[in-house]
Amino acid sequence: MLQFKLVLLGDSSVGKSSIVNRFVKDTFDEFRESTIGAAFLSQSIKIKDPKTNQDVIIKFEIWDTAGQERYKSLAPMYYRNANAALVVYDITIADSLLKAKSWVNELKEKVGNSTDDNDNDNDNNNNNNNLVIHLVGNKLDLVEDDPEMRSVATEDAVKYSTDENLLFKEVSAKTDFNIKEVFQTIGEKLYEIRQKELDNNNNKQNKGEINISLPRPSTNDSTSCCS
Amino acid sequence: MLSPERRTSMAERRPSFFAFQQATPLLVPHLAGIEDPLPEATPENVDVLIVGTGIVESVLAAALAWQGSNVLHVDSNDYYGDSSATLTVEQIKKWVSRINDNKIPCYKNAKLYASNDIGPTCKYKSRSFGIDLSPKIMFAKSDLLSILVKSRVYQYLEFQALSTFHTFENDSFEKLSNSKQEIFTNDTLPLMIKRNLMKFLKFVLNWENQPEIWEPYKDRSLADLLAEKFKLERPQVFELIFSIGLCYNTDAKIPETLQRIRRFLISFDVYGPFPVLYSKYGGAGEISQGFCRSAAVAGATYKLNEKFVSYNPETKIATFENGSKVKVEEKLVLSPSQAPEYSYNMPEQKYEVHRLTCIVEKDCSEWFNGNESAAVIVFPPNSLKSGNQEVVQAIIVGSGSECCPDGTCIWYLFTTQQGPRAELDLDAALEAMEISIIRESSVKIPQDESLVQVSEDGHSTINSFKLGQSFKEYVKREKVQFLFKLYYTQCTMVPPFNVVDPSLFMPSSGASSKFIPSACDNNVIYTAMPSSEISYDEVITAAKVIYEQIVGSDDDFFDIDFEDEDPVTSSNSYGTSRAIQYDENAIEDEEEEDIDMDQGDKDGDNSDVVGKLEI
Ligand SMILES: Nc1nc2c(ncn2[C@@H]2O[C@H](COP(=O)(O)OP(=O)(O)OP(=O)(O)O)[C@@H](O)[C@H]2O)c(=O)[nH]1
Ligand SMILES: [Mg+2]
Repeated sequence: MLQFKLVLLGDSSVGKSSIVNRFVKDTFDEFRESTIGAAFLSQSIKIKDPKTNQDVIIKFEIWDTAGQERYKSLAPMYYRNANAALVVYDITIADSLLKAKSWVNELKEKVGNSTDDNDNDNDNNNNNNNLVIHLVGNKLDLVEDDPEMRSVATEDAVKYSTDENLLFKEVSAKTDFNIKEVFQTIGEKLYEIRQKELDNNNNKQNKGEINISLPRPSTNDSTSCCS
Repeated sequence: MLSPERRTSMAERRPSFFAFQQATPLLVPHLAGIEDPLPEATPENVDVLIVGTGIVESVLAAALAWQGSNVLHVDSNDYYGDSSATLTVEQIKKWVSRINDNKIPCYKNAKLYASNDIGPTCKYKSRSFGIDLSPKIMFAKSDLLSILVKSRVYQYLEFQALSTFHTFENDSFEKLSNSKQEIFTNDTLPLMIKRNLMKFLKFVLNWENQPEIWEPYKDRSLADLLAEKFKLERPQVFELIFSIGLCYNTDAKIPETLQRIRRFLISFDVYGPFPVLYSKYGGAGEISQGFCRSAAVAGATYKLNEKFVSYNPETKIATFENGSKVKVEEKLVLSPSQAPEYSYNMPEQKYEVHRLTCIVEKDCSEWFNGNESAAVIVFPPNSLKSGNQEVVQAIIVGSGSECCPDGTCIWYLFTTQQGPRAELDLDAALEAMEISIIRESSVKIPQDESLVQVSEDGHSTINSFKLGQSFKEYVKREKVQFLFKLYYTQCTMVPPFNVVDPSLFMPSSGASSKFIPSACDNNVIYTAMPSSEISYDEVITAAKVIYEQIVGSDDDFFDIDFEDEDPVTSSNSYGTSRAIQYDENAIEDEEEEDIDMDQGDKDGDNSDVVGKLEI
């Protein structure tokens, strides 16, 4: 199993949490409030290895957020080690695409910079390409009901995505249109990148530090207190 | 007990929220609109405004947000963490110059040397370093760790083990024999001492119930108790007081110091054969970010680069430097490090913590155990050339923590010594470390089997006690390359303490009752600046004290019901019984003078216990 960290970005109310909930729990809530709750979700998908045609399980660790992006106050922790970013806008609100674009710029700047690149100083810039950015135009269902509501033309978003080398789709969290496909595409892309990395870095030594899993004490003496 | 003026919890608030929602057309986005994009100003009103994103303020923000308060959390800096931040070298440079311009309250005497090898086109990048302003370690059994698990903030963080505690004495480092196994296998300890040491360790785990042993020593020091009652010799006494207890000086009082020693022992073996953890990518700065994120998930709003300038308790309006305003319905909480001019209500910050932080161009792996990347070094009183009266403590963090690049290491030194003497002590400790690391890293390790110990998990470690001895005569040839050296003094209202006590963090009562007409901070609640304590022990208590003032009770402090089940948190009962049994066995072993290390096995069910022989 391969695990990847995926972060969500975009204006408030564009439907980030709705997309995640559709993907993870297959539910949709008309009355979803601004994100509250356990915004740390995970979901696995299956992809096929293009060479061997074998199934590979990909687990997404999904970081939804709110309240920190509103004033551009995301913590470095949020971006750190992210493998993929889902940048969401609402196709009925033109401004939300502007905001999405500014997040794309910020991501390219910050994640490209924060990647630990001590061992490969000469290929610094390649790190940018390792972050998979997928632009998503949400609420397609609203436009299907009433084409007048569309404020962002599909062609504009496609052109922008091609120029910036992003993945792109229009989706609807409400009708479950294209949601799984978005994660599937990201999963395949991440797998492809990981395979390339493995080929290039076969000789790279793993430092072998061990992380401790906090909820799993090896013993747990609940009778002793501490202060 | 719930106090009458306790606010409604988040769950209690929700139904009304939904009722309100039902009545309103929903597809209108509430924050973004076509003509009206994002509000550039802060929200119009909030329940609680918290200024400063240090670790205590961040824990408080998350606790309040989960409890149901509408929280606005701001910081005047463009980064998270405030007095607990983890910064890059470039950020430190700016921070130092702001201290020297008197722009940051509670900090003074900052001096920085940074090598030309750190820069955009140089060997090392500024951002490859994460330097803690307030370096700390976390005990495996501690209230912060419990809250990290309960709040699930641990999911945002990565932790590693720290098991090496060196004590510096007679010009060399002695590694702490912190496990029962090591006590028994250490050939240099006479049997009598081993037995006395075990007797003390047994006592200290249960000291409250044996007042007859410690009460006669109440007005004397722990050193006296150890020497007279338990017949321990100086090296063991020092190890217990300074490495295990991590006390500041020899007047360490009873029974608080017993508590400190126990803190170490009960933390040992909770996650494996080590008592302490530290977080990757930085310490308090990372943990602060984790709690801020948790708060945001629970609905708190964040704004960096927002400098608070004044608060009017009558209109309840807080004003920021950029002119924006917010109405604070309940309380304004302010970190002293972000107090504006005319903050006449700020409690006196009269205790100094002197710090010296260095980055050396050496991996210092000699000081780490197995594949760990951190260690603690303690310089007891009078162990240094400077004749230090107070302890100097050091936390060493290597590249495995991702806080510095390969081939480098960060040394954090600090002392509770007050006044200008402190710098002499820090310099003396630094020199001792420098000499020692050169000695240990440039001499070939003698082919002596007893120098290498193989631990249970198969890792071999160097017995640094013996190493220290065999290098006694080594003459310094090489020099340690310093990439970075930073001196600074941080002030706090919290005195050096042995045991956490809520009264230490009580915002001075005067602050909320007095009204000074020209002050900009009337009715503001001040948080405490970080103390000199090496662990995070104060953090939760300091946050709770303020939480209680705002909410009325701390009953529902992080009383969170996550909708989904967390699959990993249900292995408790299993571990509990085993740990207790195992302790009892350990004690029996000792009383029968039977040093059979396999005794603990007789109850079975121990196939996966790591380090089961430890205390
Ligand atoms: N018609 C329609 N409505 C949607 C769709 N996705 C989300 N919504 C609605 O849009 C509103 C906001 O959705 P959220 O998922 O909470 O948006 P968010 O981006 O997570 O918002 P914040 O948490 O505030 O950042 C909710 O009322 C959703 O029901 C969609 O595909 N179609
Ligand atoms: Mg949301």
